[in-house]
Amino acid sequence: MTFSGILTVVWYSALPWLWLISVMLVAFLVPQLLARMKSYSFTSKGGMGSKYIPPLVVLLAFFLVPLQTQSSLAYVNTWVDWMNLIGVSIGLGFYAWLVFHPICFMRNSK
Amino acid sequence: MPKKHLPFESVSRRDLLKLGLGAGVVGPLALSSRGAKAVNTQAHIVIVGAGAGGLSMANRLTNSLQGAKITIIDTREKHYYQPGWTLVASGVWNQDKTVTDIVDWLPKSVNWVKGHVAEYDPDNNRVLLEDGQAVSYDQLIVASGLQLRYDLIQGMDVDLIGQGKGVGSVYASMDASAKTNEEIKRWISKGGGTGLFNLPPTALKCAGAPIKMTFTTLHRLEDTGRREQFNVEFMTPSGGLFSVPFYNDFIKQRFSEQGVTRNDLWTLKAIDADAKKATYSVKGGEDQVKDYDFIHVVPPMTAGAALENSPLAFQPNENFKGWMKVDRETLQNPDYFNVWGIGDVMGMPSNKTAASVKMQAKVLEENFLASLQGKPLTAKHNGYTSCPMITAIGKAMLVEFGWDSKLLPSFSFIDPKKESWTVWVMKERMLRPAYYAMLEGKI
Repeated sequence: MTFSGILTVVWYSALPWLWLISVMLVAFLVPQLLARMKSYSFTSKGGMGSKYIPPLVVLLAFFLVPLQTQSSLAYVNTWVDWMNLIGVSIGLGFYAWLVFHPICFMRNSK
Repeated sequence: MPKKHLPFESVSRRDLLKLGLGAGVVGPLALSSRGAKAVNTQAHIVIVGAGAGGLSMANRLTNSLQGAKITIIDTREKHYYQPGWTLVASGVWNQDKTVTDIVDWLPKSVNWVKGHVAEYDPDNNRVLLEDGQAVSYDQLIVASGLQLRYDLIQGMDVDLIGQGKGVGSVYASMDASAKTNEEIKRWISKGGGTGLFNLPPTALKCAGAPIKMTFTTLHRLEDTGRREQFNVEFMTPSGGLFSVPFYNDFIKQRFSEQGVTRNDLWTLKAIDADAKKATYSVKGGEDQVKDYDFIHVVPPMTAGAALENSPLAFQPNENFKGWMKVDRETLQNPDYFNVWGIGDVMGMPSNKTAASVKMQAKVLEENFLASLQGKPLTAKHNGYTSCPMITAIGKAMLVEFGWDSKLLPSFSFIDPKKESWTVWVMKERMLRPAYYAMLEGKI
């Protein structure tokens, strides 16, 4: 497949989710920017939220992602299925950390 | 329950481009159009049919030819993503996800003749339209698809679908798919009864669709917790369910495990929709009449009268009689070297899927350009076709094969013989984008 072909497929795949991608981008950028104005970095101390919410998101994603695709955890069958599900869940957990870590930092520094 | 619409899902490509969204993505795409490799020609190329094959070729040739005049002939204004119709009829998708405007996929430079071919006249390099207009060509690409012959089933009419008479058919149209879903829901809400699922006695497009419809309906019946109240039967005119032996055996085994009664060598002959009775001709036996509460009708399919009665078709003494005659590897008509085929219209084993078109388009473009330059035709179609075989709502197998039923998996990490959630996600989320990229001639 050509590079242009890959981009076209990615574009059409993203189309229904542009609103969600935008919301997630804002939810990521706003706390990051606000916290960095108060000298936040990824190595800064977070808080309870950034400690417990990301693992909770990973756990929830594990069950909810298959449901979101109109499937169920019972149909996660092959090693590729498991790798994909684990990868997506960890990815969402990491995203939650990126959002909540700066929020907790700002709360602590008040 | 069909999923609710997501924002942007039914917005046309043109609208999105107007909005300027994704300019960063679309921008680089423009770089690939009409590159330095374009072939110069003054040829008039006529494409019959603005379906998957016709639109793909219109886009590909627009990009790869310089100076050519390209005409596409079709009466339709809408393009349907037909591989999505099983999801619509299974209650997974909203029907609106499967429709776009043809004009959104046609390059501006292509001349669109809104007509229907009544006669092919390859000896004079022209096609005649139903309104009497003659369109001459230097090169002809036949991408006219196939005809659904509901009329060959006595008493059957597509208008019966969704009338509360238990008649459904995923093939008839986008609306019919949605109405088929309603009919299945009505049957389920009755709490019991008989459902009849059929295969036609002819070649068919998306040969897995009748089986997918059976599996998704079984899923829905099992979800009621009263599966034993429902009788499900599957009729096969040939005795076979799928052309690839492994999948044929798999489906037979699964049908057996899920309590589906198979009636081999039964062909749907007539329907009495008011009485909810179906008549079957049985090979080597007497006709049988079955009562039903729901019937999934799959019509016989042909290439259409204009093609069948033309010199471009396989003759009665040949395999695939009535379908378009092409060299199955080069996709060129062996009698008229300036005539080419793509898609469902061609006489080939299997190969009536969008996935086949994707592979054929690449081969056809390469051979077409070689022919214009007087070079030998070196690209060869390997018979690739694909069918994500949905075995329940939420899981599927990625069935990919070529000539002689040889498995041709695209992804080494996906086991083609195992049901998988990932394959379901591919079917539900990724194949429509890939299809649209194919229409644009990008893949």
